[in-house]
Formats: sequence, C-alpha cells, structure tokens
Amino acid sequence: MDLDKIDRTIITTLTSDARTPFRKIARDLDVSPDTITNHFEKLKKEGVIIGSTVVLNSEKIGYASIVRFGFKVKPTFSSEILSIVIKIPSIIVATKLMGEFDIMALGVVKDFNHLFSLRDKFVKMPNIEKVDISIWIKTMSLKPEYFII
Amino acid sequence: MDEIDKKIIRILQKDARIPFKHIAKKSSVSRDTINNRFKMMLKNDMISKTTLILDSKKAGDGIFAFIGITTKMSDSDVILEKIKEMPGICSISRAIGEYNIEGIFLGKSMEEMSQAKEQIENVPDVIDVVVEVFVDTPLLCPQNFEFD
Repeated sequence: MDLDKIDRTIITTLTSDARTPFRKIARDLDVSPDTITNHFEKLKKEGVIIGSTVVLNSEKIGYASIVRFGFKVKPTFSSEILSIVIKIPSIIVATKLMGEFDIMALGVVKDFNHLFSLRDKFVKMPNIEKVDISIWIKTMSLKPEYFII
Repeated sequence: MDEIDKKIIRILQKDARIPFKHIAKKSSVSRDTINNRFKMMLKNDMISKTTLILDSKKAGDGIFAFIGITTKMSDSDVILEKIKEMPGICSISRAIGEYNIEGIFLGKSMEEMSQAKEQIENVPDVIDVVVEVFVDTPLLCPQNFEFD
C-alpha cells in the first residue's frame, strides 16, 4: 500500500499521541473529519496500523530494568516456542532471529528474583536448549512505537 | 497507583483510542475521574505517551536487527552517546552480559544496515560489532505486559 500525505500525517500524529481527535488532524490538513476516519480505517484494514497502546515508563511503575533473552531451540520448534514466549507477562517484544540464537525476547523485570523466576520458566520449557541473558541498563528507547516499554 | 489507575492502563494497553466514557462505565466512576487520573499519570511520567502499533514493513521500514557491541574497557557512555545519534538506531543500551552495548537497528535495506554496522565499527574503542537480523516482524506484546 502506498501511503499518501494524509496517511503519513495520521501515522505521525497518532504515534506521538494516539488520542488526538480526528477533527484536529482534519483541521491541520484542511480536510473533513470523515476523510481522516476513512484513511484511518483503510490503514487498519491494510494492516499498516495494527492497533494502539500506551507506553509506560517502566522505572516509574516499579520495574528495574530490561532484560534481553536469547534462545537456542531444537530445530523446527522456533515458531512454537515463539508463540509461547510472546504470551508470558513481562515479555514486551519477541522475534525469530538469524544468527547465534533462534529467538530473541525483551522482558521487563522488577528485580533479580523476578529475573530468575523468568529464567527458570524458560529453562524448564521443552525444546529450549540454551537461554542467554543480558541485562540492559540506561536503555534509550528512541522509537517506542516499535519497542513499547 | 491504585486499582482505578491500573484499570485505566490495562484498558488503554489494548486500545489507546477508547473514549473515556467507556472506561468510566467499566470502572463505575465518572468520566472526569478517568480524565483526571489519565492526565495525572501523564504528568507524573508513569505514562510516557499513547501511541500506535505499526507494521514496520508496511509503514516503510523493512529490516530489524539486533546489534551487540564489544568495547574496550573504557567509558562505554561516551560510545553510547555517539551511537545514539546514528540513523536507524531505535534502541540502545549498556548491557551486562556477552556484549557491553546492545541495541536494535531499524532500516529500509540491508545496505543501510551494513553501513550502520561499519559506522559503529569506526567509533574509537569499539572492538567488535555483531548483527543478527530479525526474521519475522517482531511481535510486540504490550497488551500482555502485566504489572502488579
């Protein structure tokens, strides 16, 4: 799908504030609010916009840091394991990977106990051969629409 | 943060554009209360912002990659500051683990990615840069992120 100026403005505006009223975007672009609604619905239908959400400041709500997990899994099991990993609370991003690891996930943890219980859960999962952990400190999230933390 | 705040966040995690009057109805409080609570959480920086979840490929950026950087035992903060400014870097962090700095790259093509890798390699005190390409569009699961 080729995005036009209206599409791009909708995406840029709603990325910085998803609650911006359509009539405000319409006014800025000098078009009708219905035009904005139609474009928005089309972007959703085409799958450019998957949804909307709230970006939390993990430190302010009691989470100490972000942890990066790397998983080495038995061949052919990566899709299955990915679908399980993604549903675990405190995991915020998960993906298949080409390289040393088969799956990578980012999680948000409260403290070391929380981290270890999360790690234990992964280690006990069948078909996971190796779990690598790296703790992120001073994380700068420059594009939170892709990495919502 | 009390139960009402948490409820507001949980609802907004799934749909940030939901009218406050719907949240009010679900929580049996007034619309104004929801509005005030939301504004307060923004002001206190508990909520950074509301945003869209986009399909990166369809929105114009195609390639995600993990970057692991090994540095000399020097001031990683200085290196971090330099890398932060580079195009395509969408998250960067000091790390305790196999690498000293880890980040996520987002770009339009493999060329862009290899340029970014070279650019990082040229930063003084960087010893090695490992890049691992994401195969699928990463799955974001903020709606699953549960907090107490």
